[in-house]
Amino acid sequence: MVPLHFSHFQSLLLFALIISLAFGTLGRRKPIERVKYAAWSLAMFVLVGIALGWLMYPFSR
Amino acid sequence: MFEENAANPAEGETGGEPRTDQPAESAAKVDAGVFGSELSEADAAAAEHNRGEAPSAARAVAVALAGWLLPGLGHALLKMWGRALAIFLTVGFLVYLGAGMRGNVFEPGGEDAFARLGYIADAGTGSFYFVARALEVAGSDVSHADGDYGTRFLATAGVLNLLAALHAYEAARGRKA
Repeated sequence: MVPLHFSHFQSLLLFALIISLAFGTLGRRKPIERVKYAAWSLAMFVLVGIALGWLMYPFSR
Repeated sequence: MFEENAANPAEGETGGEPRTDQPAESAAKVDAGVFGSELSEADAAAAEHNRGEAPSAARAVAVALAGWLLPGLGHALLKMWGRALAIFLTVGFLVYLGAGMRGNVFEPGGEDAFARLGYIADAGTGSFYFVARALEVAGSDVSHADGDYGTRFLATAGVLNLLAALHAYEAARGRKA
């Protein structure tokens, strides 16, 4: 198969999107609740990921 | 995360009293009221499927094993079609991406704890483990960030599938999963 290449941020977004959709579908029953939970989960994944990235930045060099 | 359960027990097993004195229809109304939300069509079908038969540990284990072997199959057996499809697509997509990014697909008999844990996580994808190995014809390449992320994608797919199998087990047992 063709090798896939993503940047760090693209990988983060892809991971967050897939897992958020799974969490929303599995964890909630009503469609509106699923959408809300998936959106909340996606936002948390991305925000916490970026925050942790900046927290680790001083130790990267 | 899994807050609601479609397969409410008809009797015993989960702390509730046996509802042998209630007809199935009224029991469904009681269940809908207890959980305070509408049952979707698939969930109602699962509840109806399980009603009238005592939750069996052997059946639940079989459902969980099926869900592990083929992601989503456990929920499909419980007629929870939406969740079955979501699990199948999510795990499948993660495995595809992980293999495409040339992540490390761990083999059994790893030399250190990380390799052994990695194998357990990868094996969590069930049959998709072999799909990942078949897709990754060029082997893994963790010298770049892509390969490292791919390794995480593969491990996440396995852990997510194990979680889904556990959810299917709980649902088959009639527990609030």
